Amino acid sequence: MAKAMPKVDVVLVGFGWTGAILAQQLCDAGLTVLALERAASRTTPDNWATTFDQDELRYMWRHHLFQNVKYSTLTFRNNVNQTALPMRHLGSFLPGTGVGGAGIHWNAQIWRWLETDFKLKSHNEARYGKQATADLTLQDMPVTYQELEP
Amino acid sequence: MGQGPERHLNRREVLALGALGSAAAAEAVSGHDGMLGGPIRRYTDTLQWNEGLTDAPEAAEAGGGWRYLNDGEVGFLTAAVDRMIPPDPTGPSASEAGVVVFLDRQLAGEYGQGARFYLEGPWGKGTESQGYQSRFTPAQFYRHAIAAVEKAVGHSENGKAFKDLAADRQDALLKKMESGDLQLDGPITSKAFFAFFLQNVLEGYFSDPIYGGNKDAAAWKMIGFPGAHYDYSEWVTAYNQPVPVETVGLTGRNAWNRG
Repeated sequence: MAKAMPKVDVVLVGFGWTGAILAQQLCDAGLTVLALERAASRTTPDNWATTFDQDELRYMWRHHLFQNVKYSTLTFRNNVNQTALPMRHLGSFLPGTGVGGAGIHWNAQIWRWLETDFKLKSHNEARYGKQATADLTLQDMPVTYQELEP
Repeated sequence: MGQGPERHLNRREVLALGALGSAAAAEAVSGHDGMLGGPIRRYTDTLQWNEGLTDAPEAAEAGGGWRYLNDGEVGFLTAAVDRMIPPDPTGPSASEAGVVVFLDRQLAGEYGQGARFYLEGPWGKGTESQGYQSRFTPAQFYRHAIAAVEKAVGHSENGKAFKDLAADRQDALLKKMESGDLQLDGPITSKAFFAFFLQNVLEGYFSDPIYGGNKDAAAWKMIGFPGAHYDYSEWVTAYNQPVPVETVGLTGRNAWNRG
Protein backbone atom coordinates (compact mmCIF):
# COMPACT_ATOMS: atom_id res chain seq x y z
CA MET A 1 0.00 0.00 0.00
CA ALA A 2 1.23 3.46 -0.83
CA LYS A 3 2.52 5.37 2.15
CA ALA A 4 1.29 8.94 2.38
CA MET A 5 4.09 11.36 3.18
CA PRO A 6 3.70 14.91 4.46
CA LYS A 7 2.97 17.33 1.65
CA VAL A 8 5.76 19.59 0.46
CA ASP A 9 5.76 22.58 -1.86
CA VAL A 10 8.31 21.25 -4.29
CA VAL A 11 9.69 17.79 -5.10
CA LEU A 12 13.02 17.70 -6.91
CA VAL A 13 13.84 14.53 -8.83
CA GLY A 14 17.62 14.21 -8.72
CA PHE A 15 19.90 16.12 -6.42
CA GLY A 16 22.98 16.90 -8.49
CA TRP A 17 24.18 20.28 -9.63
CA THR A 18 20.83 21.47 -10.97
CA GLY A 19 18.75 20.04 -8.14
CA ALA A 20 21.01 21.47 -5.46
CA ILE A 21 21.02 24.95 -6.97
CA LEU A 22 17.25 24.89 -7.36
CA ALA A 23 16.81 23.63 -3.80
CA GLN A 24 18.92 26.46 -2.44
CA GLN A 25 16.88 29.06 -4.29
CA LEU A 26 13.54 27.49 -3.40
CA CYS A 27 14.42 27.09 0.29
CA ASP A 28 15.64 30.68 0.40
CA ALA A 29 12.25 31.66 -1.00
CA GLY A 30 10.62 29.96 1.99
CA LEU A 31 9.30 26.85 0.27
CA THR A 32 9.44 23.34 1.68
CA VAL A 33 11.53 21.22 -0.63
CA LEU A 34 12.01 17.47 -0.87
CA ALA A 35 14.77 16.12 -3.11
CA LEU A 36 14.67 12.52 -4.32
CA GLU A 37 18.00 10.95 -5.24
CA ARG A 38 18.20 7.30 -6.25
CA ALA A 39 21.89 6.74 -5.77
CA ALA A 40 24.51 6.97 -3.05
CA SER A 41 26.38 10.12 -2.23
CA ARG A 42 29.89 10.68 -3.47
CA THR A 43 32.75 12.76 -2.21
CA THR A 44 35.97 13.83 -3.82
CA PRO A 45 38.34 12.07 -1.39
CA ASP A 46 36.44 8.78 -1.45
CA ASN A 47 35.37 8.54 -5.07
CA TRP A 48 38.06 10.24 -7.09
CA ALA A 49 40.99 10.58 -4.81
CA THR A 50 44.24 11.84 -6.29
CA THR A 51 45.72 8.42 -5.48
CA PHE A 52 43.54 6.60 -8.02
CA ASP A 53 41.50 8.94 -10.18
CA GLN A 54 44.00 8.87 -13.07
CA ASP A 55 42.74 5.40 -13.99
CA GLU A 56 41.80 5.53 -17.67
CA LEU A 57 40.86 1.86 -17.87
CA ARG A 58 38.36 1.95 -15.03
CA TYR A 59 36.82 5.35 -15.60
CA MET A 60 36.89 5.71 -19.36
CA TRP A 61 36.80 2.21 -20.83
CA ARG A 62 34.98 0.28 -18.08
CA HIS A 63 32.52 3.12 -17.36
CA HIS A 64 32.96 2.78 -13.63
CA LEU A 65 31.01 5.91 -12.67
CA PHE A 66 28.32 5.68 -15.32
CA GLN A 67 24.90 4.07 -15.38
CA ASN A 68 25.09 0.30 -15.65
CA VAL A 69 23.08 -0.84 -18.65
CA LYS A 70 22.96 -4.37 -17.25
CA TYR A 71 20.02 -3.30 -15.14
CA SER A 72 18.36 -0.79 -17.40
CA THR A 73 19.08 0.07 -20.98
CA LEU A 74 17.22 1.40 -23.98
CA THR A 75 16.56 0.15 -27.46
CA PHE A 76 17.33 2.16 -30.53
CA ARG A 77 17.33 2.18 -34.30
CA ASN A 78 18.51 4.72 -36.80
CA ASN A 79 15.43 4.70 -38.99
CA VAL A 80 11.93 3.23 -39.05
CA ASN A 81 12.91 0.42 -41.42
CA GLN A 82 15.22 -1.10 -38.82
CA THR A 83 14.29 -3.19 -35.81
CA ALA A 84 15.18 -1.47 -32.56
CA LEU A 85 17.61 -3.47 -30.42
CA PRO A 86 18.97 -2.94 -26.92
CA MET A 87 22.11 -0.91 -26.41
CA ARG A 88 24.23 -3.64 -24.77
CA HIS A 89 26.96 -1.49 -23.42
CA LEU A 90 27.59 2.22 -23.27
CA GLY A 91 29.30 3.88 -26.16
CA SER A 92 27.93 6.84 -28.05
CA PHE A 93 26.77 8.65 -24.93
CA LEU A 94 27.56 8.21 -21.27
CA PRO A 95 24.75 8.79 -18.79
CA GLY A 96 25.95 9.38 -15.25
CA THR A 97 24.65 7.97 -12.00
CA GLY A 98 25.01 8.77 -8.32
CA VAL A 99 24.81 12.18 -6.72
CA GLY A 100 25.97 14.65 -9.34
CA GLY A 101 26.54 11.73 -11.68
CA ALA A 102 26.23 13.81 -14.81
CA GLY A 103 28.14 16.71 -13.29
CA ILE A 104 31.22 14.69 -12.43
CA HIS A 105 31.96 13.82 -16.03
CA TRP A 106 30.51 16.94 -17.54
CA ASN A 107 32.72 18.84 -19.86
CA ALA A 108 31.85 21.49 -22.36
CA GLN A 109 32.61 24.93 -23.57
CA ILE A 110 30.16 27.55 -22.48
CA TRP A 111 30.27 30.47 -24.79
CA ARG A 112 28.90 33.77 -23.66
CA TRP A 113 25.44 34.20 -25.05
CA LEU A 114 24.81 36.74 -27.79
CA GLU A 115 22.38 39.52 -27.05
CA THR A 116 19.93 37.91 -29.44
CA ASP A 117 20.09 34.55 -27.64
CA PHE A 118 18.03 36.11 -24.86
CA LYS A 119 15.21 37.13 -27.21
CA LEU A 120 15.06 34.48 -29.89
CA LYS A 121 11.33 34.88 -30.40
CA SER A 122 11.16 38.63 -30.84
CA HIS A 123 14.50 38.77 -32.65
CA ASN A 124 13.52 36.17 -35.24
CA GLU A 125 10.04 37.61 -35.65
CA ALA A 126 11.49 41.04 -36.29
CA ARG A 127 13.99 39.64 -38.73
CA TYR A 128 11.99 36.98 -40.60
CA GLY A 129 8.34 37.77 -39.81
CA LYS A 130 5.79 36.02 -37.62
CA GLN A 131 5.14 33.44 -40.32
CA ALA A 132 8.72 32.13 -40.08
CA THR A 133 8.49 31.39 -36.36
CA ALA A 134 4.89 30.18 -36.24
CA ASP A 135 5.85 26.49 -35.91
CA LEU A 136 8.67 27.02 -33.46
CA THR A 137 8.44 26.84 -29.69
CA LEU A 138 10.45 29.97 -29.08
CA GLN A 139 10.29 32.25 -26.08
CA ASP A 140 12.18 35.30 -24.98
CA MET A 141 14.09 34.98 -21.70
CA PRO A 142 12.74 37.08 -18.83
CA VAL A 143 16.14 38.78 -18.50
CA THR A 144 18.28 40.58 -21.03
CA TYR A 145 21.94 40.45 -21.90
CA GLN A 146 22.37 43.96 -20.55
CA GLU A 147 21.01 42.95 -17.14
CA LEU A 148 23.45 40.04 -16.81
CA GLU A 149 26.55 41.53 -18.39
CA PRO A 150 29.37 41.50 -15.89
CA MET B 1 39.69 58.55 1.00
CA GLY B 2 42.83 58.45 -1.12
CA GLN B 3 43.62 60.69 -4.02
CA GLY B 4 41.91 58.69 -6.75
CA PRO B 5 38.21 58.95 -7.45
CA GLU B 6 36.08 56.68 -5.30
CA ARG B 7 34.80 53.75 -7.24
CA HIS B 8 33.67 50.15 -6.89
CA LEU B 9 35.73 47.34 -8.27
CA ASN B 10 33.94 45.49 -11.00
CA ARG B 11 33.91 41.73 -11.08
CA ARG B 12 36.80 41.43 -13.52
CA GLU B 13 39.04 43.56 -11.34
CA VAL B 14 38.21 41.46 -8.28
CA LEU B 15 39.17 38.30 -10.20
CA ALA B 16 42.46 39.86 -11.27
CA LEU B 17 43.14 40.90 -7.69
CA GLY B 18 42.42 37.33 -6.54
CA ALA B 19 45.03 36.00 -8.95
CA LEU B 20 47.57 38.46 -7.62
CA GLY B 21 46.75 37.39 -4.08
CA SER B 22 47.30 33.71 -4.88
CA ALA B 23 50.64 34.44 -6.50
CA ALA B 24 51.75 36.27 -3.40
CA ALA B 25 50.61 33.39 -1.16
CA ALA B 26 52.45 30.86 -3.31
CA GLU B 27 55.60 32.94 -3.05
CA ALA B 28 55.42 32.74 0.71
CA VAL B 29 55.80 28.95 0.79
CA SER B 30 58.60 28.69 -1.78
CA GLY B 31 61.36 26.38 -0.78
CA HIS B 32 59.15 23.36 -1.43
CA ASP B 33 59.95 22.21 -4.92
CA GLY B 34 57.21 21.00 -7.19
CA MET B 35 58.12 19.17 -10.38
CA LEU B 36 59.32 22.30 -12.11
CA GLY B 37 60.57 23.97 -8.98
CA GLY B 38 57.23 25.57 -8.22
CA PRO B 39 55.82 25.68 -4.73
CA ILE B 40 53.81 22.76 -3.42
CA ARG B 41 50.21 23.69 -2.85
CA ARG B 42 48.60 22.34 0.28
CA TYR B 43 44.92 21.76 0.80
CA THR B 44 43.90 21.05 4.36
CA ASP B 45 40.76 21.09 6.52
CA THR B 46 38.50 20.40 3.59
CA LEU B 47 36.83 17.05 2.93
CA GLN B 48 37.49 14.03 5.07
CA TRP B 49 39.10 10.96 3.56
CA ASN B 50 37.72 7.72 4.91
CA GLU B 51 40.49 5.19 4.84
CA GLY B 52 39.19 1.78 3.80
CA LEU B 53 35.96 3.20 2.41
CA THR B 54 37.39 4.77 -0.70
CA ASP B 55 36.34 3.56 -4.11
CA ALA B 56 39.86 2.36 -4.84
CA PRO B 57 40.60 0.05 -7.81
CA GLU B 58 40.94 -3.68 -7.34
CA ALA B 59 44.30 -4.99 -8.44
CA ALA B 60 44.51 -8.01 -10.72
CA GLU B 61 45.37 -11.18 -8.82
CA ALA B 62 49.10 -11.62 -8.76
CA GLY B 63 50.87 -14.92 -9.03
CA GLY B 64 51.16 -17.48 -11.77
CA GLY B 65 48.44 -19.63 -13.26
CA TRP B 66 45.44 -18.72 -15.33
CA ARG B 67 42.12 -17.68 -13.82
CA TYR B 68 39.99 -18.05 -16.94
CA LEU B 69 41.94 -18.98 -20.05
CA ASN B 70 42.74 -22.57 -20.96
CA ASP B 71 46.11 -23.60 -22.38
CA GLY B 72 44.96 -23.51 -25.99
CA GLU B 73 43.58 -19.97 -25.56
CA VAL B 74 46.79 -18.84 -23.88
CA GLY B 75 48.74 -20.24 -26.83
CA PHE B 76 46.57 -18.44 -29.38
CA LEU B 77 46.50 -15.14 -27.48
CA THR B 78 50.24 -15.10 -26.75
CA ALA B 79 51.05 -15.64 -30.42
CA ALA B 80 48.44 -13.16 -31.65
CA VAL B 81 49.23 -10.29 -29.26
CA ASP B 82 52.93 -10.62 -30.06
CA ARG B 83 52.20 -10.12 -33.76
CA MET B 84 50.18 -7.01 -32.89
CA ILE B 85 52.91 -5.66 -30.62
CA PRO B 86 56.17 -7.55 -31.30
CA PRO B 87 59.29 -7.01 -29.17
CA ASP B 88 61.68 -4.42 -30.53
CA PRO B 89 64.44 -2.17 -29.18
CA THR B 90 61.92 0.47 -28.05
CA GLY B 91 59.90 -1.79 -25.78
CA PRO B 92 58.67 -5.24 -24.78
CA SER B 93 56.24 -7.35 -26.78
CA ALA B 94 52.64 -7.46 -25.65
CA SER B 95 53.04 -10.81 -23.91
CA GLU B 96 56.32 -9.73 -22.26
CA ALA B 97 54.41 -6.73 -20.92
CA GLY B 98 51.77 -9.04 -19.41
CA VAL B 99 48.94 -8.45 -21.87
CA VAL B 100 47.82 -12.10 -21.75
CA VAL B 101 47.76 -11.95 -17.95
CA PHE B 102 45.70 -8.76 -18.26
CA LEU B 103 43.25 -10.45 -20.64
CA ASP B 104 42.97 -13.47 -18.34
CA ARG B 105 42.27 -11.40 -15.23
CA GLN B 106 39.84 -9.13 -17.09
CA LEU B 107 37.91 -12.09 -18.52
CA ALA B 108 37.85 -13.84 -15.13
CA GLY B 109 36.64 -10.67 -13.42
CA GLU B 110 33.54 -8.55 -13.64
CA TYR B 111 34.33 -7.23 -17.10
CA GLY B 112 34.55 -10.72 -18.54
CA GLN B 113 31.39 -11.77 -16.75
CA GLY B 114 29.47 -8.96 -18.43
CA ALA B 115 28.84 -6.99 -15.23
CA ARG B 116 28.23 -3.91 -17.37
CA PHE B 117 26.64 -5.54 -20.41
CA TYR B 118 22.90 -5.84 -21.03
CA LEU B 119 22.55 -9.49 -22.03
CA GLU B 120 18.78 -10.05 -22.15
CA GLY B 121 16.49 -10.19 -25.20
CA PRO B 122 15.23 -9.08 -27.61
CA TRP B 123 17.92 -10.47 -29.88
CA GLY B 124 18.67 -9.68 -33.47
CA LYS B 125 21.61 -9.51 -35.80
CA GLY B 126 21.57 -5.73 -35.68
CA THR B 127 23.24 -3.19 -37.88
CA GLU B 128 26.82 -2.03 -37.45
CA SER B 129 25.61 1.13 -35.71
CA GLN B 130 23.66 -0.98 -33.19
CA GLY B 131 26.97 -2.27 -31.88
CA TYR B 132 27.54 -5.40 -29.82
CA GLN B 133 24.54 -7.72 -30.19
CA SER B 134 26.09 -10.99 -29.08
CA ARG B 135 24.44 -13.08 -26.37
CA PHE B 136 27.85 -13.82 -24.94
CA THR B 137 29.60 -12.18 -22.04
CA PRO B 138 33.06 -10.96 -23.05
CA ALA B 139 34.54 -14.13 -21.50
CA GLN B 140 32.19 -16.40 -23.49
CA PHE B 141 32.79 -14.26 -26.57
CA TYR B 142 36.54 -14.91 -26.40
CA ARG B 143 36.03 -18.62 -25.77
CA HIS B 144 33.74 -19.11 -28.76
CA ALA B 145 35.70 -16.80 -31.04
CA ILE B 146 39.10 -18.36 -30.36
CA ALA B 147 37.68 -21.86 -30.87
CA ALA B 148 36.14 -20.76 -34.18
CA VAL B 149 39.36 -19.06 -35.31
CA GLU B 150 41.45 -22.13 -34.48
CA LYS B 151 38.97 -24.32 -36.37
CA ALA B 152 39.26 -22.11 -39.46
CA VAL B 153 43.04 -22.01 -39.11
CA GLY B 154 43.19 -25.82 -38.81
CA HIS B 155 41.28 -26.15 -42.10
CA SER B 156 43.50 -23.78 -44.03
CA GLU B 157 46.87 -24.62 -42.44
CA ASN B 158 47.00 -28.42 -42.48
CA GLY B 159 45.68 -28.88 -38.97
CA LYS B 160 48.18 -26.58 -37.33
CA ALA B 161 47.31 -24.29 -34.45
CA PHE B 162 47.75 -20.53 -34.87
CA LYS B 163 50.71 -20.43 -32.49
CA ASP B 164 52.65 -22.96 -34.57
CA LEU B 165 52.48 -20.94 -37.80
CA ALA B 166 55.24 -18.76 -39.19
CA ALA B 167 54.96 -15.07 -38.33
CA ASP B 168 54.00 -14.04 -41.87
CA ARG B 169 51.16 -16.60 -41.92
CA GLN B 170 49.97 -15.34 -38.54
CA ASP B 171 50.03 -11.79 -39.87
CA ALA B 172 48.06 -12.78 -42.94
CA LEU B 173 45.41 -14.46 -40.79
CA LEU B 174 45.16 -11.50 -38.43
CA LYS B 175 44.66 -9.22 -41.44
CA LYS B 176 41.91 -11.50 -42.70
CA MET B 177 40.29 -11.31 -39.27
CA GLU B 178 40.55 -7.54 -39.23
CA SER B 179 38.85 -7.26 -42.61
CA GLY B 180 36.31 -9.97 -41.79
CA ASP B 181 37.48 -12.16 -44.67
CA LEU B 182 38.26 -15.10 -42.37
CA GLN B 183 35.01 -17.06 -42.34
CA LEU B 184 34.12 -18.46 -38.92
CA ASP B 185 31.53 -21.05 -37.93
CA GLY B 186 29.05 -19.79 -35.39
CA PRO B 187 27.57 -16.41 -34.57
CA ILE B 188 30.77 -14.36 -34.14
CA THR B 189 32.39 -12.76 -37.17
CA SER B 190 36.16 -12.57 -37.31
CA LYS B 191 35.86 -8.81 -37.83
CA ALA B 192 33.80 -8.35 -34.63
CA PHE B 193 36.23 -10.47 -32.65
CA PHE B 194 39.29 -8.68 -34.00
CA ALA B 195 37.92 -5.24 -33.11
CA PHE B 196 37.06 -6.39 -29.59
CA PHE B 197 40.42 -8.10 -29.16
CA LEU B 198 42.48 -5.18 -30.48
CA GLN B 199 40.79 -2.81 -28.04
CA ASN B 200 41.57 -5.14 -25.12
CA VAL B 201 45.20 -5.59 -26.24
CA LEU B 202 45.73 -1.83 -26.28
CA GLU B 203 44.11 -1.59 -22.85
CA GLY B 204 46.39 -4.29 -21.51
CA TYR B 205 49.55 -2.78 -22.92
CA PHE B 206 48.88 0.80 -21.83
CA SER B 207 46.62 0.74 -18.78
CA ASP B 208 47.89 0.90 -15.24
CA PRO B 209 50.16 -1.98 -14.19
CA ILE B 210 47.74 -2.68 -11.34
CA TYR B 211 45.61 -4.65 -13.85
CA GLY B 212 48.32 -7.10 -14.81
CA GLY B 213 49.51 -5.67 -18.13
CA ASN B 214 52.02 -2.86 -18.79
CA LYS B 215 54.44 -4.73 -16.55
CA ASP B 216 56.87 -2.44 -14.75
CA ALA B 217 55.14 0.40 -16.59
CA ALA B 218 57.29 -0.53 -19.59
CA ALA B 219 54.77 0.79 -22.14
CA TRP B 220 54.58 4.13 -20.34
CA LYS B 221 58.36 4.41 -20.13
CA MET B 222 58.56 3.63 -23.85
CA ILE B 223 56.34 6.60 -24.75
CA GLY B 224 57.68 8.88 -22.03
CA PHE B 225 54.52 8.98 -19.93
CA PRO B 226 55.43 9.14 -16.22
CA GLY B 227 52.10 7.69 -15.12
CA ALA B 228 49.69 8.33 -12.30
CA HIS B 229 51.24 11.34 -10.64
CA TYR B 230 48.84 13.44 -8.61
CA ASP B 231 49.26 16.63 -10.52
CA TYR B 232 50.73 17.60 -13.87
CA SER B 233 49.45 21.14 -13.85
CA GLU B 234 52.94 22.64 -13.75
CA TRP B 235 53.66 20.90 -17.06
CA VAL B 236 50.58 22.01 -18.92
CA THR B 237 52.43 24.71 -20.84
CA ALA B 238 55.79 22.90 -21.05
CA TYR B 239 55.17 21.81 -24.62
CA ASN B 240 57.37 19.18 -26.29
CA GLN B 241 59.57 18.75 -23.26
CA PRO B 242 60.28 15.41 -21.66
CA VAL B 243 58.96 15.05 -18.12
CA PRO B 244 61.96 13.69 -16.24
CA VAL B 245 60.23 12.26 -13.20
CA GLU B 246 60.03 8.70 -12.05
CA THR B 247 57.25 6.67 -13.64
CA VAL B 248 54.68 5.61 -11.11
CA GLY B 249 51.46 3.57 -11.18
CA LEU B 250 48.36 3.65 -9.00
CA THR B 251 49.98 1.50 -6.35
CA GLY B 252 52.47 4.31 -5.80
CA ARG B 253 55.97 3.81 -4.58
CA ASN B 254 57.21 2.03 -1.50
CA ALA B 255 58.40 5.34 -0.15
CA TRP B 256 54.83 6.58 -0.04
CA ASN B 257 53.53 3.74 2.10
CA ARG B 258 53.31 3.86 5.84
CA GLY B 259 55.83 1.71 7.62
